[in-house]
Amino acid sequence: MHRTLKKLPIHRCFSRNLSCRFQGSTLYFNPTTHISASTTPENLTPEQRKVVDVALRVDQAGELAANWIYKGQLRFLGNDAIAGPLIQEMLNQERKHLEVMNQLQLQHRVRPTLLSESARIIGFSLGAATALAGKETAMACTEAVETVIGEHYEDQLRDLEKVTADHPSIALLRAVVEEFKIDELEHLDIAVDNHSQRAPAHALFSSIIGTGCRIAIKLCKSI
Amino acid sequence: MATAIPLRTQLLRLALPLVRTHGFTREALSQAAVGLPNHVQPLPDSAVSSLFGDGDEARRTLIRAWLDEGVEGIKELRRRREVLERMELDMRLQQQQETQPKAPFSQVQTQPLESERIDIRHVLRARLAYNEPVLAYLPEAFALLASPVSGLPPLDPTPALNHAATVASEACYAAGEKTILMDWYTRRATIAAIYTAAELHQLVSPPTASAFLDTLLAESKSLGKKLDDVGSYSNYIFRSWAGILKSSGAF
Repeated sequence: MHRTLKKLPIHRCFSRNLSCRFQGSTLYFNPTTHISASTTPENLTPEQRKVVDVALRVDQAGELAANWIYKGQLRFLGNDAIAGPLIQEMLNQERKHLEVMNQLQLQHRVRPTLLSESARIIGFSLGAATALAGKETAMACTEAVETVIGEHYEDQLRDLEKVTADHPSIALLRAVVEEFKIDELEHLDIAVDNHSQRAPAHALFSSIIGTGCRIAIKLCKSI
Repeated sequence: MATAIPLRTQLLRLALPLVRTHGFTREALSQAAVGLPNHVQPLPDSAVSSLFGDGDEARRTLIRAWLDEGVEGIKELRRRREVLERMELDMRLQQQQETQPKAPFSQVQTQPLESERIDIRHVLRARLAYNEPVLAYLPEAFALLASPVSGLPPLDPTPALNHAATVASEACYAAGEKTILMDWYTRRATIAAIYTAAELHQLVSPPTASAFLDTLLAESKSLGKKLDDVGSYSNYIFRSWAGILKSSGAF
């Protein structure tokens, strides 16, 4: 189950030091935007451009879906004394992620996915359904989704290494993906700490959600 | 070290200004060779075929190069807008530091921004203006692009759709439009439809094309606002029902 955590032990070091780590995403909330957060390299090869396009298309859709999953969960667990504030906190972070991804889409001139409306609807339904099934199931959903997203961001960082353009926006993009990966893995920790594994049929449930996420990632890459 | 430009590209560049006088013809490509340094003779027909394709294929190559040049013009507007935006940002920062050091950046008063003049209307008007010198040749050029190289289908709409989609997408970027997710698609589809209608109008009545374009853009803006209002109203109704269901204890 903690395949990702074993694969990415570094996130734990970072997650204990949130305030210390560099947050590239803050550049996207600054009106005096740096060139790295407002321009895109024009000299990328078609293969490199594809890596950037695919990465941002999937990430934007993923952050959108994550927002709606937490909104769905909050709808039915918002009044829960423990789960409510936790979900709200994670939703706030996902909102920031989505805002940054939207700006990255504009900055790098990426065609967004055509499946964004589906991501909204499926995300909300999944969040609401798991919240209705109970706090543990909602946390198991978070655990399964964030596991896949953490792995996905890790794969993406490897792909982005191939983009060798000497342009500050690419370095910033890597920093943002790294930052978001750490945030998502923190959500995974929160879910585990809050008894996600006590959910009924946890292994089967995680496997179904994880497979669904992987299919969604694959679809968003091209559609 | 400067990279050598391939001969084919050089000839295509030299042929583009000749379209005004020769149309999208093999003759224009042939005459382009006269513009090369140390070259006084037009290209023989066999050389045109060898470099640009046989028969109408050479003409198609010239048309595509001309369309690409139009896209480059739009990109040039985008670069100009980006430079202006950066200069204006620097000026605002300087103004803030000099006059209102404690005021939030967003509240610093400035003159109307020069970069904001490069809006979608400006960009599409510029693209229509690019058509003007060769208007007489455009119907035939578009017909040629739509004719399949061989056999069926009788007409291929793909080049026309590509042309409209490319102009719309580049125009949106050049105008600094910030549409995301599904709005990205709807905005581009709207602009593509408007531009296609304006371009068709231009072929029939060139002097009124810009005014026609303005009317279409204004109407699309008003339609967009109406749709937003409908969306807000639907959202309001949905929220009301959700509130009623929640207070009834159903959830």
